[in-house]
Amino acid sequence: MTGFLVKRFLQALVVLFLVSIIVFVLLHMLPGGPARAILGPKGTPQQITDFNHQQGYDRSLPTQYFMYLKRLFTGDLGDSYKLNSPVFELLKQRLPKTLLLTVLSTVLAVVIAIPLGLLQAVRRGKASDYALTGLAFLLYATPVFFLGLVMIILFAQVLPVLPAEAPQGESVGELLSEFSGLVLPVVTMAFGIVAMFSRYMRSAVLDNLTEDYVRTAMAKGQSNRRIMVRHVLRNALIPLATLLGLYLPTLFSGALVVESMFNYPGMGLLFWNAAQGSDFPVLLGVTLVVGIATVIGSLLTDVLYAVLDPRIRSVA
Amino acid sequence: MTGDAGDGKGTAAEAKDHPDMTEPQLDMTEPQVTDARPGAPGPLLSIEGLHVDIASRDRTVHALDGVSLDLAPGEALGIVGESGCGKTMTALSVLGLLPPGGRVTGGRILFDGEDLATASAPTLQNVRGNTVGMVFQDPLTSLNPTMPIGAQVAEPLLLHRADLGRKEAWARAHDMLRLVGMPQPAERMKAYPHQLSGGMRQRVAIAMALVCEPKLLIADEPTTALDVTTQHQILELIDSLRATLGMAMILVTHDLGVIANRVDRVAVMYAGRVAEQAPVRALFARPRHRYTEALFAALPERAAERGTELHTILGLPPSLTTRPTGCRFAPRCAFATDACREREPDLAADAELGAGADAGLGAEAGAAHRFACFHPVPYGDAPAEEVVTPPPAAATEPGGVLLRLDALTKEFPLPGGPFGRRRGTVSAVGGVSLTVRRGETYGMVGESGCGKTTLGRIVAGLEEPTAGTVRFDGRDLAGLTRAERRAHRRRIQLMFQDSTAAMDPRMRVGEILREPLVIQGVGSRADRERRTAELLDAVGLPRGAVHRYPHEFSGGQRQRLGLARALTLSPDLVVADEPVSALDVSVQAQILNLMRELQREHGLTYLFISHDLAVIRHLADTVGVMYLGKLVESGPAERVYASPLHPYTRGLLDTVNVPDPAAASAADRAPLSGETPSASRPPSGCRFRTRCPLAQEVCATTEPPVTTPSGEGHQVACHFPLTASRLTSVV
Repeated sequence: MTGFLVKRFLQALVVLFLVSIIVFVLLHMLPGGPARAILGPKGTPQQITDFNHQQGYDRSLPTQYFMYLKRLFTGDLGDSYKLNSPVFELLKQRLPKTLLLTVLSTVLAVVIAIPLGLLQAVRRGKASDYALTGLAFLLYATPVFFLGLVMIILFAQVLPVLPAEAPQGESVGELLSEFSGLVLPVVTMAFGIVAMFSRYMRSAVLDNLTEDYVRTAMAKGQSNRRIMVRHVLRNALIPLATLLGLYLPTLFSGALVVESMFNYPGMGLLFWNAAQGSDFPVLLGVTLVVGIATVIGSLLTDVLYAVLDPRIRSVA
Repeated sequence: MTGDAGDGKGTAAEAKDHPDMTEPQLDMTEPQVTDARPGAPGPLLSIEGLHVDIASRDRTVHALDGVSLDLAPGEALGIVGESGCGKTMTALSVLGLLPPGGRVTGGRILFDGEDLATASAPTLQNVRGNTVGMVFQDPLTSLNPTMPIGAQVAEPLLLHRADLGRKEAWARAHDMLRLVGMPQPAERMKAYPHQLSGGMRQRVAIAMALVCEPKLLIADEPTTALDVTTQHQILELIDSLRATLGMAMILVTHDLGVIANRVDRVAVMYAGRVAEQAPVRALFARPRHRYTEALFAALPERAAERGTELHTILGLPPSLTTRPTGCRFAPRCAFATDACREREPDLAADAELGAGADAGLGAEAGAAHRFACFHPVPYGDAPAEEVVTPPPAAATEPGGVLLRLDALTKEFPLPGGPFGRRRGTVSAVGGVSLTVRRGETYGMVGESGCGKTTLGRIVAGLEEPTAGTVRFDGRDLAGLTRAERRAHRRRIQLMFQDSTAAMDPRMRVGEILREPLVIQGVGSRADRERRTAELLDAVGLPRGAVHRYPHEFSGGQRQRLGLARALTLSPDLVVADEPVSALDVSVQAQILNLMRELQREHGLTYLFISHDLAVIRHLADTVGVMYLGKLVESGPAERVYASPLHPYTRGLLDTVNVPDPAAASAADRAPLSGETPSASRPPSGCRFRTRCPLAQEVCATTEPPVTTPSGEGHQVACHFPLTASRLTSVV
């Protein structure tokens, strides 16, 4: 198990290294180079030369890359053009909030999707299965922004029980203290995930129900409920673990839409505003964080995999 | 008649479909067997007129149609038959474990006085794993992959012995694992199924079934997925546990060898009904039903001599979607008369009195012998093996050397460690040298993992050897150019075990058969079509088959297609890898006969790979025995089988289940014990030494050279070969 995790961790480091190269290359692909991007169309050639020299952009690419890495390790991701603040500080402030939103909605989605998928698998072909399948597809096909609008109209306007705007607290604790404001963003984000996860759960359970070991479990004299909980559930969760890790980047992009809709002060909103204002250092900083998150997500999948499936553990 | 009510449409249709269910005779056709055994206790299990339907989307299969069986406490009953005959359904229905869509539509299953066919879920759950234990075929898929085996074995105790604490249940599971021969049970309790070998997994499954000390054990093909030597160990284990725990058993199998000495009575099933039921010795000595007779005659073991045609049963069992009228075997029976086609014979005790004199089996056995046949095999008739047709002219004498392997070695890297670093190698083939002569059948026999399939793949050019040479028709294959290699491929073709998996499911048969010709650019379109038709004629399939897809054929027909495809390019050598292992006995006989016939007509050479000693003995001229990548013995088939030189060959021959209750009980048999070591760390010196009864120090230090102690042609790689003089001193 340890060997397996060490192996995966080393692989993750390699991927992170590649991510840093990609972001570095992106930085150099900015239209007209970073100098033009920052100084704008009105910058004189002299200003651009000075800027490049000052920032080290006139040195060789490998040297620049090492400087970039050095800055990266000291937490220097450059300064935002618009917000007049270091990108690192912005991310430090916003990332926990986006994580809060993502984690809450994922947990909510998983908590709903697993029993839902089980239920559908057990009731396969019955009316409740069809109804839930229909609902799942409806939710799955609905764009997040539309779903968010419907939620706002329903629960903030028609039935004014929940605020339409997310809390604007400075820290995660402050956000949590205004929990009612979190409900709509979290639920909106969770719905799309529930649809997908419950479909996966349903088919994973159905696959497992035809396995011989379920028949063996029946032959021991267990009730169907016990077989579901003690035998099928864990085996059915294995494919779901893969999905969870692969889904993480998608979750971040979902957060982007949801945050901008509910004016939630997370990384997605930061990215959204930076994109509109061509605030490149911020965009690249967020890209880097999402890249890292993706790598960590797949690492987490592997860990989860190893926990759930003993066969994976002994391969390493 | 459970579950019919409430479904108006179904009831009406079924009433018409089940005319016999309304007749009172149904339950009276079978006198209790206990009548035949005065003084015996009442039956533990009594299945009476059981009907089971399996409904799928578009059809309903009447899987069981009036099956009646009973079993006394402590008795062992074997249920045999070919696939689809209903033997597994009978076993599953006892515990209410029928597959989705399956349900009991009539009859009773009385166990300990309770009707399990109509029992409620809690009642059934109380019986399952408690008073009736069940062992399934595949020990890998039958165990939960994510649960330690200790927890799986303890589970029935926690369910059925509420008074036991968790600790006590754990302790009992431990004892049970020790009882089934699990080494170091305390440590293995925490192991997962994938960490155990196939044989050990099946031991776990048996421990699970027996941990509550049931009165009845139902074993559904418990050894079919296992190797010959493991199979023997598991059957011995079940035997001894049955004696220890005094339980009754139902052993379901397609393998007549397995039941020959493991049960008291045998029921032969055909097309959802019991065709014949008798004490095991009586059945093997004198089968009365024509189907049983034909089944025995189809066994390669029973063929009088190598080179003779096997008896086959023409055609296929009936589809059970509609109820056949008359005897279900009549369409395939050589003795069928109009009466057979009109009326279904009942299972009845032998009418010919004086049966008791038969084979000295006693009157009880005679009366307990029951069969459903209007024209049974008469008592005076000679046993089946003596009515064999005279052997056809022998195949053409083997000619010069066609294939020569020299010190052929294949190692596969074992991946693992960070960044896929190689952690070692698996020695699949460890230096095999052999020659195959033109026109002969070289039978390669060995257990799974011995490297026989890899060897076949190298010969067919699908795998590059790590070292050593393959010479075909005098040319070293390693020296061929790309174009030559391509042309060479025509001359060696493969035939696979699983023809379904080996054919593109989306290609029609015509395309499949033409494809090799297209790839090799042989002939015009018309030529190719002519060739396809020829091939279909040769393998006995209708020409119209070209328009159909592989899934539309039965297993035997698909294997015919596999053979036709292999022959498309008129190869010199056909590498046949377990071509009949997935087939039923009667179909297997058809394919073996066909292969022999085509060999004679086309002068084919076969490299026939199989784990089945009887099949190899029947077909092969020369036999090679492989163990862990080494060719331990080779020579003319008669000599290898009659006087094996290698202790492994000897052990294999002694381990095999012979379908004859008398033969197998011979005391001088020395079956193999232990398990095959891993090919990633093969033992030093002789690879067989860890299981060899004759092993000495030299075996661990020096690899045995190939010698011919009993004369030219019969080679063995052993320091202490079993020559006649040694044999007497050692055994």
